[in-house]
Amino acid sequence: MRDWLGRDWLGRDRVGAAALLVGAVGLLAYALIWASPYGLRVLTVAGVYALASFGFQIIFGLGGALSLAQGAFFGLGAYVTGILGSRYGFDASVTFPLSLLAPLLVALPVGLAVLRLDSHYFALATLGVAQVLHLLVVNLPDLTGGANGVPGVPPFALFGWSAPRGLPTAALVWGMVAVGGLIGWRVARGRLGRSLALVRDDPMAAACLGLDVGRLRLMAFALSALYAGAAGALAVHTQRVVSPEVLEFPVMVTILTIAVVGGRGRMVGALLGALLLIHLPEWFRGLERSYLIVYGVALLLVILLAPMGLTGLWTRLFPPPTHRLPAPLEPPAPPALNGERLRAEGVTKDFGGVRALDGVSLRLEAGVIVGLIGPNGSGKTTLINALSGLERLDAGQVRIDGRVMTNARPDRIARAGLARSFQAAILPDDATALAAVAAARLPLDRRVERAEAHARWALERLGVGALAGRLCHGLPAALRRRVELARALARRPSVLLLDEPAAGLTDAEKAELAALLRALAADGVALLVVEHDMEFLLPLADRVLCLDRGRTLYEGAPDGVRRDAGVIAAYLGGVGA
Amino acid sequence: MRRGVVSLVVGLMTVAGAARAEGLSFPVLVPLTGFLSLEGTSQRNGALLALKEAPAGLIGAAETIDTGTSPEAAVTALERAAGGGPVGAVAASMLGTQMLAMLPLAAELKVPLVTVSGTAAITEQNNPWVFRFFPGDAVTKTAHARYVVEELKKSRPAVIYQTTAYGQSGKTHLDSAFRALNVTPVFQEGVDPTAKDLLPVLTRALATNPDVLVLHLHAGPTALLLKQAATSGLSIPVVAGSAMHQPSTAALLDPAELKGVCAETAASPVSGGSPAVGAFTASYRAAFGKEPDAFALGQYDGMMMVLAAVKAGAKTAEDVRKALSVGRHDGLAMRYASDGKGNMAHSAVIVCYDGKSRIPTLAKRYDNVTGVVK
Repeated sequence: MRDWLGRDWLGRDRVGAAALLVGAVGLLAYALIWASPYGLRVLTVAGVYALASFGFQIIFGLGGALSLAQGAFFGLGAYVTGILGSRYGFDASVTFPLSLLAPLLVALPVGLAVLRLDSHYFALATLGVAQVLHLLVVNLPDLTGGANGVPGVPPFALFGWSAPRGLPTAALVWGMVAVGGLIGWRVARGRLGRSLALVRDDPMAAACLGLDVGRLRLMAFALSALYAGAAGALAVHTQRVVSPEVLEFPVMVTILTIAVVGGRGRMVGALLGALLLIHLPEWFRGLERSYLIVYGVALLLVILLAPMGLTGLWTRLFPPPTHRLPAPLEPPAPPALNGERLRAEGVTKDFGGVRALDGVSLRLEAGVIVGLIGPNGSGKTTLINALSGLERLDAGQVRIDGRVMTNARPDRIARAGLARSFQAAILPDDATALAAVAAARLPLDRRVERAEAHARWALERLGVGALAGRLCHGLPAALRRRVELARALARRPSVLLLDEPAAGLTDAEKAELAALLRALAADGVALLVVEHDMEFLLPLADRVLCLDRGRTLYEGAPDGVRRDAGVIAAYLGGVGA
Repeated sequence: MRRGVVSLVVGLMTVAGAARAEGLSFPVLVPLTGFLSLEGTSQRNGALLALKEAPAGLIGAAETIDTGTSPEAAVTALERAAGGGPVGAVAASMLGTQMLAMLPLAAELKVPLVTVSGTAAITEQNNPWVFRFFPGDAVTKTAHARYVVEELKKSRPAVIYQTTAYGQSGKTHLDSAFRALNVTPVFQEGVDPTAKDLLPVLTRALATNPDVLVLHLHAGPTALLLKQAATSGLSIPVVAGSAMHQPSTAALLDPAELKGVCAETAASPVSGGSPAVGAFTASYRAAFGKEPDAFALGQYDGMMMVLAAVKAGAKTAEDVRKALSVGRHDGLAMRYASDGKGNMAHSAVIVCYDGKSRIPTLAKRYDNVTGVVK
């Protein structure tokens, strides 16, 4: 079976696909043959929650943002359908699109305001949205029916056809689940999903690879709101009344639990989680009050046995086969330009009362390797951060290929042609080396396959093509650095900033790295290499810049640095003396 | 106590398969968990006791399902109960939003819902399948306001209510009742049932110089507010909502903290009143190890009327519905008759605490407030 991108996914994971197929057929048979009206109702409710959880998987599972507004968007969709359907008699052709639109219209401004907050502040802010909506519906009884809510909501009706309860309603909801799940699955496996995963794992690194973190999170937030609105609309049709309970925290907790128990970031996980979480209390309902204890214990057991969720457990039991690697494909190179690629003038940065950079100027030219040295705390990493947009300058100017990029966002600087590495190689543990490198091409390539082919080329270029199918987790430090370098290289940057690339490498590995960097320079890349290892750096660099307490202490030929009295006093000590 | 409950439930379940009231079952779908668990438990106990004491020749079968506090769970519970064979009537949740959610399904399934929910809206949906054996807010709040104005001679009430369906409904009817008595409250504010400190709202209320505090809160918040009022030396009388009359609410307070506190309710079985009520209270204590309240008694009366209808020949849920719609029933708390919308209870009482005991005494009875019972 081939998906919309032409990939043979059934061939990749036959066991998983077969299990999914068997599950779907089993569910269908249960609904058609065995399920009582009660069974169908529970199944319908599970479908509603699965739909809401698909959206949550996108914002929380893939994007890593703990949005506690998903329940509020669910409730908002429910209220729109409830009020319009009950009071004004509109059918689903009006109520359903508006139930999607209303949460979206709330999500966009809220997202713009809160999505840049750190994780726990973001969670609290989104919880605030839910609280405000709850207060509004309770205190606007003329519109919302107040605490009583709005009774008499009609069943789902479209163009004169009304879905009776039981099988038709269950089929309708699960039809929506199928469509929603397929869209979610495509999102998760496509550029957006992979980009979100990168943002989740390390937003800073994602931004430096050219991903617009804010825009991606906003898209995920908006998508999650659409799913929640759709689920809320279906919920109110099955429940026939909408009341403030749909905006209360238990709805949100249920969605969150479904995502965690099912498996974070996986649409199948949302499906499995919803089926389990909604059915579990019903199985124990006969125990009256005690059912909550049994339910809690059962949930605890699931989490203990499957800490990565049900899909994580499945992957552990049936590891997917290594899929066929794409053939290497060299990405288009930037136009070959000589001369200056980056110019920084008078770069100044203060952290409170500490001046980390004090009027530093720097030029990087095509084919030239500049070494950046200095004692700890001299401002080397701060300078790289300032050039790559992670720190805002207090004064000074940065130009890339003549364009002023002072205080531009990291993703814009990356798109202008600058790439960088970090002191500690930042790679997602649960991704393969190929996927980690391909992530760098997501803003550039239209298709994931193409991004992977380009990533393969970068890995081969760095001499680690054999690692393509291996998980980043557990890679030795030297290989992690190679993979990270391949990720930077995959973007075909014109300017490359490397923060201590030789740290932890053996002499042989350093020699290989030096040869590689020379080859990159020969290709016309302008390199800035921060390094403490003078034996590695001085033979490699064409020019050296030495910082001390944020100021330029020396700039010139590598040979000169060994003889410069100031550098010797501040940094080198006995080296070269 | 727990063993008593279990043995009763097990006993009922055991006989369920052997003999049912004319083959009909009487599921009990009430909130046993969540913020209404106290009241829901009373409801369940009242229903189960009625089924246990079913008229001679009838044995009522009952499956008890916890509805929690969400409408979704209540609808699912009703669907589940209806799937278990012919249903004569359902002892249905006292939570208004759950009732509103169950009503369309009850009409579709043709199952009478017998409840003690006080939410006015449930009998305003033109649904012939709902029967409320607890005076609605139109009755209790009239009694509430009349006692404040006519008996206590107060004219500056401060009203504190809950921001739930129960609270908003009660507040609306209190407004009407006070308006009819030409009294305007000097303060009105809603509080969330999860609020952990009610001193701020109490302070704001007292700042308006009221001469009586009128409460319409759930059990927990009522007890919390009264405790905080006693601690801060409240010197004006308090007339609370029906939650106060519950023995479980009174148990949360010292008798001294109850001095000067009255409450409206449908009935107060622990206060006695008749040998039949005394017998009910004794049976309830024996079965559940707890004190009964008006919700238990109302649900008991409701289920007894249902069983009496079956005894009188009702063979289907429709027969039961008809009997409830047109019949009269002399229950332990009052005489019940439908007003055509399913409101069966039309009397209310005011009970007051003397500051020495947690058992209130009957202060005033308001019968046939609506004029329905002839």
